[in-house]
Amino acid sequence: MNLVRAEVERLAARRFAQLMLVLLALAFVITAATTVVGSHQPSARELAAAQAQVAQAISGMEAEFQRCLAVKSGQLPLDESVYLPRDCSELDPVLQERLPVIADYLPGVFVFAQQAEPLTLLLIAFLVLFGFLVGASYIGADLNSGGVVNLLLWRPGRLTVLGTKLGTLLGVVVVLSALSTVAYLGAFWLIGQTAGLPGQLDGVFWRELATGYGRGMVLVLLASALGFGIATLGRHTSAALGVFAGYAVVWELGARIVFEILDVARLEQLMLSTYVGAWLTGRVEFFDERICPGGEGLCSGSYTITGGPALAVLLALTGAVTVAAFATFRRRDLI
Amino acid sequence: MSAVIEIEGLRKTFRSVRRGHRVAVNGFDMLVEAGQVHGFLGPNGSGKTTTLRALLGLVGPDGGRMNVLGEPAPERLARVAGRVGAIVESPQFFGNFTGRRTLRLLAVAGGVPIVRVDEVLEQVGLRERGDDRVKGYSLGMKQRLAVASALLKEPELLILDEPANGLDPAGIREMRDLVRSLAASGVTVLISSHILAEIQLICDHVTIVSHGRRVAAGPVREVLAGFDRHECRVRVAEPDRAAELLRGVGMSVTVHEGLLAVGGVAEPELITRTLGEQGLWVGELTPIRPDLESVFLELTGTTPHPALPRQVDGSALPGEESDDPVIDLDVAGDRGVDA
Repeated sequence: MNLVRAEVERLAARRFAQLMLVLLALAFVITAATTVVGSHQPSARELAAAQAQVAQAISGMEAEFQRCLAVKSGQLPLDESVYLPRDCSELDPVLQERLPVIADYLPGVFVFAQQAEPLTLLLIAFLVLFGFLVGASYIGADLNSGGVVNLLLWRPGRLTVLGTKLGTLLGVVVVLSALSTVAYLGAFWLIGQTAGLPGQLDGVFWRELATGYGRGMVLVLLASALGFGIATLGRHTSAALGVFAGYAVVWELGARIVFEILDVARLEQLMLSTYVGAWLTGRVEFFDERICPGGEGLCSGSYTITGGPALAVLLALTGAVTVAAFATFRRRDLI
Repeated sequence: MSAVIEIEGLRKTFRSVRRGHRVAVNGFDMLVEAGQVHGFLGPNGSGKTTTLRALLGLVGPDGGRMNVLGEPAPERLARVAGRVGAIVESPQFFGNFTGRRTLRLLAVAGGVPIVRVDEVLEQVGLRERGDDRVKGYSLGMKQRLAVASALLKEPELLILDEPANGLDPAGIREMRDLVRSLAASGVTVLISSHILAEIQLICDHVTIVSHGRRVAAGPVREVLAGFDRHECRVRVAEPDRAAELLRGVGMSVTVHEGLLAVGGVAEPELITRTLGEQGLWVGELTPIRPDLESVFLELTGTTPHPALPRQVDGSALPGEESDDPVIDLDVAGDRGVDA
């Protein structure tokens, strides 16, 4: 327990962590301020106009659906200039994932229900960056400055010390993420209430937001552990930064170009970014004509990566790096 | 007396793809008993720091056996870590933390009362600078901070690797006084240092290492006695005639710039009597006692030659450059020179 206390204090005292927190607060303030400036509460007239536009849009969709049915049943002639799907249910308003809502017709009005998801994604992206960089710097600087050696003179259990450091990092990241999320979403909810619209905040909304946030938090923790693990393996913060930059440039950009030249099928499956996206959104679908070598036929040319396999890949990678980091640190000569 | 540190046959080889293999410690033995102030000497690269790091679990040995306070190291070091204070070579600290915060974090991690922080800052003379960032500290101040960190636990065993590094003369003296007072209070101290005069002043026992092997060990005075050639320096009015007279009674004499170096002198009074009986009055008669520096240089083969710059790994084992035996004083039992 003492070691955890000392590590929490040590992490909190790190200037890099403090700087990242300031940046998070700054990004938050700028986003909130620009939102407040660019939003207003709609007048009754604006709301009525938007309501009318919604009704008009829905009736237009219904008309399109009825026209399609009429053409299919031969009651109306075929008009080549108008899109006609193979199956009219594609146009059925009842079967649409999402129908127009008032917020779609209120320009300059911040609607919390609509913006919460992208705002959460922005926060998650920052927290991923925070976790990776702080994780790498926390252990990297300690290894480099002799802090770990000093600590081992007091607590000569290498795995205990490294494990405590990783646990402390993940714990602090979770607490910090929770606090910043409450502050962040709370502030935007307030903006929605006072300078915009709250939107439809029903159970479905909160459930979806919580699911997305939960997925994002898993990613934040994985990124933190990955930064920590790579810096431990490389004995320096810059090792993690170098691996990240090297991977992005050499693999995600360079190898992608090479694979495209070589006509490699399903190349997205080879990219880590695919699994990050698939985990965050639950499912990503790609179209690649190279997976249908014999012509179209029944092959749709699409392939899908879902959240489960994506999480498995991310867990395997982070797990492998973390285990390697612990194994290496246990045997390493600290000279 | 009980053994506080026991090392037998310690071996460590560093392997690197670029630099190949380098044997740092090669069958090293050491025994430090409770209450000793034990000097650990050796040329650069002789394996001192590697030995201390291995003892403290920072470097994995390839072979040998080590015990610290009766527990096998590094396997059960955790059991006695709270009783061992240590600094190992150029102590490094996180520059952005203050000295006080650095010690505080260690105290919290080790479960030491926070009040100890101020006590040790006072003890090492950093009371007024404890709230400065470590990156603003001089080398000597960092050294003091390192010693403070080692003292936090009120250790039974204190291991200090080059504690006088970067200290000014006053600081060296303060360090000496500190070590003496700790030793007086019953703390066993192991000091590695290059400042041989300092070691001779502070330590009662010594182990000398060269090329990763022990070349001498035992009480300081006995190690020195092993190198006492019973020589005297003699100033006399007629040096050539005096030399003849002394050779006549079986002494070996060399004359240099009017001074006689007389060897094989079991009793210096024999010189005065021999010369006095012939009417030659001795102006100066000084027994030439070996000091730790000369013994160290001889044992490790590192005596400087003006025209030949010595390389870091250019030390030697006794017998490599001369026929001198390895001095191996049995520190536990007979305290004699074992050729």
